[in-house]
Amino acid sequence: MTISVRQAGAAQVVDIAGDVDLGTSPNLRRTLFGLVANAQKLALNMQALRYIDSSGIATLIEVLKDCQSSQKQFVLFGLSPAVREVFHLTHVHRIFRIFDTEEEAVASA
Amino acid sequence: MTISEATGATPSLRVTFVMRSRPCYLAVVRATVGQLAATAGLEETESRALVLAVDEALANVIRHAYHGRADGRIELECRADADQLQFRILDTGDPPDTAAICAREIGSDQIGGLGTHIIRDVMDTVSYRTSPAGNCFIAAKRFRRQA
Repeated sequence: MTISVRQAGAAQVVDIAGDVDLGTSPNLRRTLFGLVANAQKLALNMQALRYIDSSGIATLIEVLKDCQSSQKQFVLFGLSPAVREVFHLTHVHRIFRIFDTEEEAVASA
Repeated sequence: MTISEATGATPSLRVTFVMRSRPCYLAVVRATVGQLAATAGLEETESRALVLAVDEALANVIRHAYHGRADGRIELECRADADQLQFRILDTGDPPDTAAICAREIGSDQIGGLGTHIIRDVMDTVSYRTSPAGNCFIAAKRFRRQA
């Protein structure tokens, strides 16, 4: 898994690529929690994400809850059909704000 | 990894992994299970779900039986029979807490506990057994072929 961060308008966009599983989700968690403190809005680009397991989903839920408690935004975009299937299988698609494109995710209020 | 083919009245393919409880091996297992599912004729969505379920079962062993230790022994046997794919995982770590299996409310924002729901949703049969020799998880996915 690789992670990089860039600024797009008012949002910090986090590009993740590869697989998020039990071995790599702690790295994703560290990175996202490191960013939450200094960003008003985090947008996670999942276009190049091949695989995510429940530890990755749990990490995203943790970050979402942290953002909600500090009145910050955490949005997702670019989910592949394979990643969408995991969100639906775990029924967590209802608790996240999910967009098709980066433009929509960054512009969302 | 061991691959063997048993031919006879009911041909079957068996792939066995014997590995340490290291998360870095999960990607190797996922790739193999994906290939096995494709070879068995599962369609893409079903195959991906199956890969996820097996990955979750192994991750549970690493996290809960071995508490993240990397030196635990795990044996995974994948078996493709005429009517199903069966996965058997053996470990010698702590026994599973059966009360915690699927205890999480699905669809909530509660953290953790999703893995067992995935396994139950994806597989047709799931069982956990514990003996003095260790823990045994067995799950199977039956083929739904057109008549």
